[in-house]
Amino acid sequence: MVDFSTRTTGSDVTVIKPEGRLNMAGASTLRKQLQGIVDGGSSRIVVDLSTTEFIDSSGLGALISGLKMARQVGGDLRIAATPQQVTTVLELTNLNRVLPSYATPDTAFDD
Amino acid sequence: MTERTLEVVTGPDTLAELQSTLDSVWATDHVSDYTRMCIDLAVSEIGTNIIEHSGNGQPMNLRMVVTLLPDSISVVLTDDGRPVAVDLSQTAMPGEWSDRGRGLAIAHRVLDELSYSRNDGGNRWMLMRRRSEESHGDG
Repeated sequence: MVDFSTRTTGSDVTVIKPEGRLNMAGASTLRKQLQGIVDGGSSRIVVDLSTTEFIDSSGLGALISGLKMARQVGGDLRIAATPQQVTTVLELTNLNRVLPSYATPDTAFDD
Repeated sequence: MTERTLEVVTGPDTLAELQSTLDSVWATDHVSDYTRMCIDLAVSEIGTNIIEHSGNGQPMNLRMVVTLLPDSISVVLTDDGRPVAVDLSQTAMPGEWSDRGRGLAIAHRVLDELSYSRNDGGNRWMLMRRRSEESHGDG
C-alpha cells in the first residue's frame, strides 16, 4: 500500500492524511508511518481524517497505538476533520473521550 | 427480496470485494445511511477476523451471501479455514487504551444477531440487522 501523505506545520506539528479506507490494510500502513514519525523525533501529530472514507477496529487500533507512542515521548496525537462515519464509530467504542476531534488539522494544537 | 453471492479465495483484496458486493446490494433498494454503515462495519470486522484467524494469513475459500428483505438484512459468511476459538458471550468493549480486540464488540453492537458455528470442515458466521428503525423514503 502507498504511504499516506505527511507534512509539517510551522508549529512543529506533523500532519498525516490517510486516504480511503482505514481497515486492515490501511491501518497497517498508518501504524507503521506513525511509528516512523515518532522514531524520527516528532511527538506532536495530527491525523487529518478529511479524506478517510471508512474506519473499523483496525483503524482505531492504529490511532490508539499512535496516541500511546506520542504520549510516551511527551507529545500527543490528535484527530481533525472527522467525517460522520468515523465520528459514529468513535462514539460506539467510547473512544471519543480519548480522541476528541478538532475542526481542522492546522488548529488542533492551538491550545 | 435481493440476494447477492460472492465466492472468493482470500487475499489482499478480500475486504474490498466484500464491500463491493454490499455496494451492489445498496444500489438495488433504499436502505438508510445508518443501516448501511452498520452492515458495512460489521462485515469489515467479521471479514478481518476470518482472514486473520480462520485463514491465519493463508488463502482459503470464502463465500458471502447477502439477503436484503423489507424488514431485515442478513449476511452469511462461510469459509473452509481452521476452527476459530470464539465466545460471543464475551464481547465487551475493551478499555480505551487497548489497541486491539474491538472487532467483535463493534459487530455485536451494530447488529441484532451475530452467531458463529463450526460445521463439517468450515466456519459459518451469520450477521443480521433489522430495518425497523427505517421509515420508507426517509433517512
